[in-house]
Amino acid sequence: MAGQHPPVMRSGTPPVLQLVGICKYFPGVAANEDVSLTIRSGEIHALLGENGAGKSTLMNIVTGIYQPDGGEMILDGYGVAFSSPQEAIRAGIGMVHQHFRLVSAFTVAENIHLGWSDTPRHIPAGVLEAHTRELGERFGMPLDPAARVEDLSAGEQQRVEIVRVLARKARLLILDEPTAVLTPAEANDLFRALRAFRAEGNAVIIITHKLDEVMEASDRVTILRGGRNVGTWATKDCSPQMLAATMVGREIVRQDLRVRAPDAVPRSAKPVMSLRHVSVRDGRGVETLSDVSLDLMGEEIFGVAGVAGSGQRELTELLTGLRAPDRGDVLLEGKALPADAVAVARAGVGHIPQDRLQSALVPSLGVTDNMALREYDRAPIGGNGLYHAGAALRLAQDIATVAGVKIPDYSMPVRNLSGGNQQRLVARREMRIASKVLVAAYPSRGLDIGAIATLHRYFAQLRDEGRALVIVSEDLEELLNLSDRIGVLFHGRIMGVLDAAQADVERLGLMMGGRTEERGAQ
Amino acid sequence: MMRFQRFSTATAGYVLVWRALAFVVAMGIVALLLALSGRNVGELAALVARSTLGSRFGLEDLALFMAPLVLTGSAVTVTSRIGLWNIGGEGQFYLGAIGAAAVGLFVHGPAVVILPLMAVVAMVCGMAWIAVPTLARAFAGVNEIITTLLLNFVAELLTYWLTTGPWRDRVTGALVSTERLPVAVPEIWGVVHWGFPVAILVACGLSLLMSRTSWGYEVRVSGANPGAARYAGMPTRARIVAVMLLSGALAALAGMFEVAGTVHRLQGGMSDNFGYLGIVVAVLARRSCLAVIPAAFLMALILDAGIVLQTQQLAATAVLAITGLVLLLVAIADELAHYRPVVAEPVRRSAPGVSS
Ligand SMILES: Nc1ncnc2c1ncn2[C@@H]1O[C@H](COP(=O)(O)OP(=O)(O)O)[C@@H](O)[C@H]1O
Ligand SMILES: [Mg+2]
Repeated sequence: MAGQHPPVMRSGTPPVLQLVGICKYFPGVAANEDVSLTIRSGEIHALLGENGAGKSTLMNIVTGIYQPDGGEMILDGYGVAFSSPQEAIRAGIGMVHQHFRLVSAFTVAENIHLGWSDTPRHIPAGVLEAHTRELGERFGMPLDPAARVEDLSAGEQQRVEIVRVLARKARLLILDEPTAVLTPAEANDLFRALRAFRAEGNAVIIITHKLDEVMEASDRVTILRGGRNVGTWATKDCSPQMLAATMVGREIVRQDLRVRAPDAVPRSAKPVMSLRHVSVRDGRGVETLSDVSLDLMGEEIFGVAGVAGSGQRELTELLTGLRAPDRGDVLLEGKALPADAVAVARAGVGHIPQDRLQSALVPSLGVTDNMALREYDRAPIGGNGLYHAGAALRLAQDIATVAGVKIPDYSMPVRNLSGGNQQRLVARREMRIASKVLVAAYPSRGLDIGAIATLHRYFAQLRDEGRALVIVSEDLEELLNLSDRIGVLFHGRIMGVLDAAQADVERLGLMMGGRTEERGAQ
Repeated sequence: MMRFQRFSTATAGYVLVWRALAFVVAMGIVALLLALSGRNVGELAALVARSTLGSRFGLEDLALFMAPLVLTGSAVTVTSRIGLWNIGGEGQFYLGAIGAAAVGLFVHGPAVVILPLMAVVAMVCGMAWIAVPTLARAFAGVNEIITTLLLNFVAELLTYWLTTGPWRDRVTGALVSTERLPVAVPEIWGVVHWGFPVAILVACGLSLLMSRTSWGYEVRVSGANPGAARYAGMPTRARIVAVMLLSGALAALAGMFEVAGTVHRLQGGMSDNFGYLGIVVAVLARRSCLAVIPAAFLMALILDAGIVLQTQQLAATAVLAITGLVLLLVAIADELAHYRPVVAEPVRRSAPGVSS
């Protein structure tokens, strides 16, 4: 296939982009400090680093969203300074952000053409759609031009973003954690398209936490740590272990998390939480969860696998009281689960939801107010109708300390924190209240490997203290490494529950695809 | 090297400094326009200063303007905290005035009984007036901006009908007005009545309610991210209903004080746009319940100055023009307040020699 290998460049070709000594400061943090970096044409360049290492900030500088506080940017051999993203786009630099920036009520075709100077003023929808389809085919990313963006999956929305950028004649494409929300198949499609893009002599910068992807897809790797460039290597000279260690600055020890601590609470015989023949219908009357029966034991981690959209969201909402079953019962320690989310949380069920910025956090409020979300109605913050801001601040400081997040100003809007730090804070906030059950949907999404290892250790610790954990994840390795049992969802049904010790990726994959498990261990 | 950088939050200090500057610029522009139209600016300025801040009567007038503005401004501010806009302050103001007048005209008794009763009836009327938009918003998701706005015109017409029809003044025969009410809110300083300190106390109380109670916390979270409110199991719908009813009651309270303290009768057109100006006050206050007080002060100053200018043969619309100008410049100032100087460290390396 064309474009499997980077095109051979003549040695005289100047690099597409050179960064020299870039600095960027935010109140209390040096997000980038003296970062120098060269991007050659015809390469896929991976940018690695822990959460908060300054990757997004650096790319926001390259694309004109932020102005650097120091340093130079050299594009095709000429010094440039962008004062707006539009200028960067005109210079051929396009970026697909960590959080999508599409208008969800508009169609795909409208989003592609929005704010594009090449779009004629008056144009029939049919022409727009035809043009969109043609663009999608040109870049190897098929699109449905008439679909509304809000109806698309994360992978499809991303395709719209990428075509939108490529259509504006980008020569340098920047992707910020593009595969965090993709299924493995979607990720493969993405990499195929990126290779085709590279084959035409263009360059790609890709930010990711998945080292396998780095090894497979990139030509060179740069690692940022604490805002500084630690080094750039050719990917073929790297190993995942070396990358991980360089990124975190120490060796990551992988331990078998299924092994219990010696003083662990023994596994209980009675289930903490149970589902009995539960069904859920969506607004249109379609069953999104059908006849699900499950027992969650104390001192157990129950993994949930499945292709995205197989009923994971409904399951987590059921377990946390955000949704009532249409049929069947949800029991907490043998009694019916309370009908509202507050009562469920107060009964000891914590919830790390999949879309933390939309539902677990209030982006425009300060860190303090956000950390109080679960405990504002009890002492010491509240409980008597009052809200003690001082106590809330102390709670926020406690959470930030155990989460290992440095916060310069607790009244700063939580949206200013990097995605990984937001996730850490939410995770620790929920662990505090999860005295019986913790339900976590994609808990390691957007976290770097160091943070994932820490999070997993905390999960194991919660388990050893006797709590039940439900972990939903698309990463089968994560589930296999962590869970005691794994349930596989397919079209809203439990295809089977496997003992993790006997499960492997192949067996899980088959069940995720709807094959029944004959020898299923239950 | 020094440069300016946009921050996502603006500190109160920067906002204040920039706004003061905006106000000075606005005054400069007004002065320039007056000078260009051949007026003696110095004399006018001295006159305005003397008849607003520079004299006892001026200060009393300011306080009389401020009291209703603080209340209608608070009415809009509380709804903005939950992400809604009550544009119907004008209508709720009239309903409060009507309710208070009804008590004053038809219930007889000592003032200590009648005045609290007036306040309660006025607030209930204001809440009733916002009830339909409230329920439509909370249960059917109908946009409250349009529904509250439309009811303003109904309330105004209702007032005209009452003051020219069933409740018209049969004693002195004054037009578009009821008789003088037998009770009045006691005065505390010249013509300034208890409405002024009550309004200030209400604004302070609301500020505490928002920042120091779990109810206020729920309102803030529900307004800033309904998804998070649902996740935390907050009774968002109940909070929307409560906040909107509170808002209606606040605007109505302004109407009650105006009827029973300042005008002493119900009159058609008596609101003087206090309901709408409350929106301006709320915008100036940037959703802070306490900042409503200085914002209302500024608005009162503009209104007062406008009246002085009218005595000097300037059109009444000058007030509106000045208000618009101040708002525009304040909006610009608020944006500028997001920029702060940052000191960048000098670039250590300038030669483009880069490792690969
Ligand atoms: N707008 C902002 N205001 C204040 N601090 C910020 C802002 N954006 C990023 N930061 C801080 O800068 C650092 C780097 O963040 P970021 O570039 O998002 O990291 P990464 O993308 O590598 O996870 C973090 O400490 C983050 O909290
Ligand atoms: Mg980032």
